[in-house]
Amino acid sequence: MEQVYFDHAATTPPREEVVQAMLPYLRGKWGNPSSLHHTGSRALEGVERAREHLASLIGAQPEEIVFTGSGTEADNHALIGSWVANRNRRNHLVTSSIEHHAIHHTAAFLETLGARVTYVSPDEFGLVHSEAVRAAITDETVLVSIMHANNEVGTIQPIGKIGAICRERGVLVHTDAVQTVGHLPIAVNDLNVDLLSLSAHKFYGPKGVGALYLRRGSTVASFIHGGGQELGRRASTENVAGIVGLGEAARLARQDMAAESAHVSSLRDMVLRELEARIPHLHLTGHPTQRLPNNASFCVSGVEGEGLVLDLDAAGFAVSSGSACSSGALEPSQVLLAMGIAPLIARGSLRVSFGRTNTSAEVERFLELMPAIVDRLRKLSPVAAC
Amino acid sequence: MTVLKPDKCIDLRGTPCPLNWVKTKLRLEEMEPGMLLEVVVDDGAPARNVPRSVETEGHRVVETTRLPDGVRVLIERC
Repeated sequence: MEQVYFDHAATTPPREEVVQAMLPYLRGKWGNPSSLHHTGSRALEGVERAREHLASLIGAQPEEIVFTGSGTEADNHALIGSWVANRNRRNHLVTSSIEHHAIHHTAAFLETLGARVTYVSPDEFGLVHSEAVRAAITDETVLVSIMHANNEVGTIQPIGKIGAICRERGVLVHTDAVQTVGHLPIAVNDLNVDLLSLSAHKFYGPKGVGALYLRRGSTVASFIHGGGQELGRRASTENVAGIVGLGEAARLARQDMAAESAHVSSLRDMVLRELEARIPHLHLTGHPTQRLPNNASFCVSGVEGEGLVLDLDAAGFAVSSGSACSSGALEPSQVLLAMGIAPLIARGSLRVSFGRTNTSAEVERFLELMPAIVDRLRKLSPVAAC
Repeated sequence: MTVLKPDKCIDLRGTPCPLNWVKTKLRLEEMEPGMLLEVVVDDGAPARNVPRSVETEGHRVVETTRLPDGVRVLIERC
């Protein structure tokens, strides 16, 4: 059975144009971009073209792009590099309680090294208010890191306002834009950020490659040490084919973003509207308007999110849940708990995230199946009281 | 100095070989045949290598001018 893929926030299928752009760099143009000879230059050409495509997508200068091995690496570089370079004069970081693990676990690591970290809470819609960030900043703050949009509930944060506040205070600003690059129009100058993380596989590029936007003049230490690649900011021979794929995905995103956004947001709105009408005790999560165009997230009272995911999988739909099974116990999403959602409700979380090839017919089928699946699970559930 | 007006200009002083040539090539790719690209590179190896690569790729070096702090290369996209 062909599975309908509604989990584009987890990863996206590489576009055929991306695969075709990468293949020459796995075959004939396999040189080392650092080599001075022609074989090396041909690989370097691919890397630099990709750098220009990506810079255009986010309104940066090509020299401000540092290619990395992932969005997670870019997040690590942003936090660790900012702290290491400035810790002798400023030792405090501000982030939110709904960040990705790549930020949370890195911040926790820095705490073990002596950094002080403040975690700002969001409101019930998952929105981190700029004034809450302002209140958390002290004279010791080196960096504020707030995600551009949340990966679970899709809420888009007011990064431009947060960035402006940080500018007033001379604080570096980072945003984890892994969920938004390629999906929302982004201009780093409008966002007022000094650092921005992104990942290719979230916008139809390959896995294993990401980038950090690093504003010229920002005091941020290198993270991976060795050769002089990426202007000395990220050592290691470049993942040339991956970088070329990222560049092509960026070029295509710039070209197709408006049409894709209109398409996926119509699917999202269909799900949010119809599910609420068809399933009692369903709670939409995330912000009603400030949310990613492709993200529909909700909690279904009286069921476990994992049960929903598995039943939908058996019915031919790939979706995901914010609850994660660890050591046999279902843990509700920390993001949902931070938003003030009761643990029992948070356990029934589901995220449906659409992509460019999804159709309204697929959504119709999903909407027809969901009530019966929820009914069945509620009858089986020990926590079925709504 | 030439009276020819370039359609595009890039300053690649401080950019090492072969990155200066790669950046020149990417600009030339965006241009139509017959258009002129002005590139300023460092004297020394870049001033020798970039014009040579331009001609190897089939474009035409229209003019090379020594500046106080670099070399200006005017290229016709062929």
